[in-house]
Amino acid sequence: MKRLLAPRTLFLSLGLLWLLAIWLSLALGPVSLPFVDTLRAGLRLLGAPIAGQGLEQAELIVGQIRLPRTLLGLLVGAVLALSGVAMQGLFRNPLADPGLVGVASGAALGAALAIVLGSGFGGLPEALAPYLLSLCAFLGGLGVTALVYRLGRHNGRTSVATMLLAGIALTALAGAGVGLFTYLADDATLRTLTFWNLGSLNGASYQRLWPLLLVVCVVALWLPRRAQALNALLLGESEARHLGVEVETLKRELVFCTALGVGAAVAAAGLIGFIGLVVPHLLRMLVGPDHRLLLPASLLAGGTLLLFADLVARLLLAPAELPIGIVTAFIGAPFFLFLLIKGRG
Amino acid sequence: MMRRPSVLIALCASLVFAAVAQAEPLPQRWVSAGGALSEWIAALGGEARLVGVDTTSQHPESLKALPSIGYQRQLSAEGILSLRPDVLVGTEEMGPPPVLAQVRQAGVRVELFSSKAELTAVDENLKHLGTLLGAEQRASTLASDYRQRIQALQAAIGQAKTHQQAPGVLLLVGHGGGKPMIAGQGTAGDWLVQQAGGRNLAEHDGYKNVSVESLAGLDPEVLVVSDRALTGDAAVQAMLKENPGLSASRAARDGRIVVVDPTLLVGGLGPRLPEVLQSLARAFYPQGNVSFKP
Repeated sequence: MKRLLAPRTLFLSLGLLWLLAIWLSLALGPVSLPFVDTLRAGLRLLGAPIAGQGLEQAELIVGQIRLPRTLLGLLVGAVLALSGVAMQGLFRNPLADPGLVGVASGAALGAALAIVLGSGFGGLPEALAPYLLSLCAFLGGLGVTALVYRLGRHNGRTSVATMLLAGIALTALAGAGVGLFTYLADDATLRTLTFWNLGSLNGASYQRLWPLLLVVCVVALWLPRRAQALNALLLGESEARHLGVEVETLKRELVFCTALGVGAAVAAAGLIGFIGLVVPHLLRMLVGPDHRLLLPASLLAGGTLLLFADLVARLLLAPAELPIGIVTAFIGAPFFLFLLIKGRG
Repeated sequence: MMRRPSVLIALCASLVFAAVAQAEPLPQRWVSAGGALSEWIAALGGEARLVGVDTTSQHPESLKALPSIGYQRQLSAEGILSLRPDVLVGTEEMGPPPVLAQVRQAGVRVELFSSKAELTAVDENLKHLGTLLGAEQRASTLASDYRQRIQALQAAIGQAKTHQQAPGVLLLVGHGGGKPMIAGQGTAGDWLVQQAGGRNLAEHDGYKNVSVESLAGLDPEVLVVSDRALTGDAAVQAMLKENPGLSASRAARDGRIVVVDPTLLVGGLGPRLPEVLQSLARAFYPQGNVSFKP
C-alpha cells in the first residue's frame, strides 16, 4: 500500500485539526458567546491571571458545560479509534470493528439490564443511577468479550476465526436479551433505552471523566508498545511467530485493550458507531499500514472526528440536541460506501 | 439576658428574609418541559412568558411555534441556557440529572412538579404554578373547578352504575392503523378508562402488543382508540381494517368506538381531561345522564 502523506505532514495536519476541533468545541454552542469572552474564560480556566468581571456566564458555559464535554469527546473518540486499529490488526481485516468481539452488544445488554430493572425496582436512587448504568454497561461489555475470547481458545491457541463466529453468535444472543428487556420496559424506560443506544456526550461532568481518562491512558500507552508486533501480525500468524512475536499474548492484549477501552467509552457516552471503523481505515489510506504511525494518528483523528460530529449534534437542532450516534452513522456510512465504490473502480 | 436580644435579632432577621423572599421578582422567561404543565401555564394566562417547550408540549397548538428543547428526558443544558430562561419547569420525568444540575448552576430556577395521575397532584401543581406566575387566584379557581367537575362526574357515574354494569373496555394506542398497543394495568390509559367508569379488560402491565386471537376472545363492549398518526373516523377505520379480530367484537358491531387524543396520555393530568372523561363516560353509559351537573 502506498502512502499519500509523509508522516511529518500527517501529524502536523492532524495536530492542527485536533486543536481546531477543540477550539470550535469550546467556542461554539447554542449559547453564542463573544470570541473574546471564550478566549478569556479559557485562559482563566488555564490559570491565567485575568480579571473575571462580566465573565461569569462565559466561564460557566465554557468551564462547566463545554470543556467536560470536549474532553469526553476527545477521550471517547480516541479510544474508539485505537480499539478499531487493534481489532483490524487482530482480524487482519480492514472491515473489522470493535463490535466484532461483542463488547458493544454486551455493554448494551448491561445497560438495558440496569435501565429496565432499575425502573422495575421503583427507580434507582438519583445519585446512584448514572453510575450503576455505566458500571453495568462496562461489565456487560467486558463479560461478553471475555466469553468470546474464551470460546475462541482451544488447546492453548486462540483461533481468530472461531472468535469471529462466537462474536456474531453472542452479539445475536445479547441482541435478543436487549429485545426482551425492550419488551418488558414501560414507555419511559423505552425512551431512555433508545436514547442510550444512540449515544450522547450531553451532560458530561468532570467526576465522570476520571475513570475513562484512566482507561484511555492505559490503552493509549499500551497499544503503541505493541505496534511492531501488530506489524508482524499483518504478515500472518505463523510468520509473526517466526519473527519472535508471542502471538497468543498479543491477541489477549488486543482483546483486553478493546474490551476495556470500548467498554469504558460506551459506559460514558452510550453506543457510538463508525468511529472505530472509519478512522483507522481512512488513516491507513493516508499513511499506509505501519502501526507505529497508525496508532498515534488514530488517537488524534478519532477525537477530532467525534468533536466535529458532536458540534453537528448540538448545533443542528438547537436548542434541542441530536444523539451523536445518528451523526456519526450519517457521516460514517456514506463515507464507507464511498470507499467501497472507489476501491472497486 | 443575652437570650432576648438574640431572639429578637433572629426574629427581625427572619422577617427581613421573608420580605426579601416575597420581593423576589416573578420569573418572566419560562421554559416548560412537560406537556400537561405547558397546558396549565397557558390556561393560567402565562403562555406569553414561555420561551421554549419540550416535544411533549403539543397543546395549545400555538406552542408548536416556540423553540423546541427536545424530549423531556434528554434535555441539553446549553440549549436551555441559550433561551435565557428565568425558570425551567418540568415533572420528575425531566432529565438527565447532570443537565439539570448544570442548568441550576447557571442560576436558572428549576421547579419540579408531579406527573402523577391524582387530583391532589393537580391541586399542588396549580398552586405552585399560580405562585410562580403571580396568578394565585386564578389557579385556585381552576383547581377547585377541576375537582368539582371530576367529583360530579364520579357521582354521576356511580349513579349510572346502579342501572348498568360497568362495560368491558380496551384502550388501543395505534400508529396509522397498524398493530395497536393495548393499554394494560397501571398505565395512563388504564387510569382514564377506570375514571370514566369502565372496566379495563387487559390484564398485562404497560402498553403491549396483544395477539389478534386473544383480542377477539376478550370481546370488549367499548373500544377507546388513540392514534398518533390519524384522527377521528380515519383512525377508527384504519384500526378496524388492520385488526379483523376487533371488527367482530361487540364494540365494533354496536359502533361503540371512542377516539381520544394521544397527547392526553403523556405527562400528568392536564386541563383537557374532564371533557375527555365526560365523553368517555357518555360512551360507557349511554342510558345514564352522565355529565358534570347531575
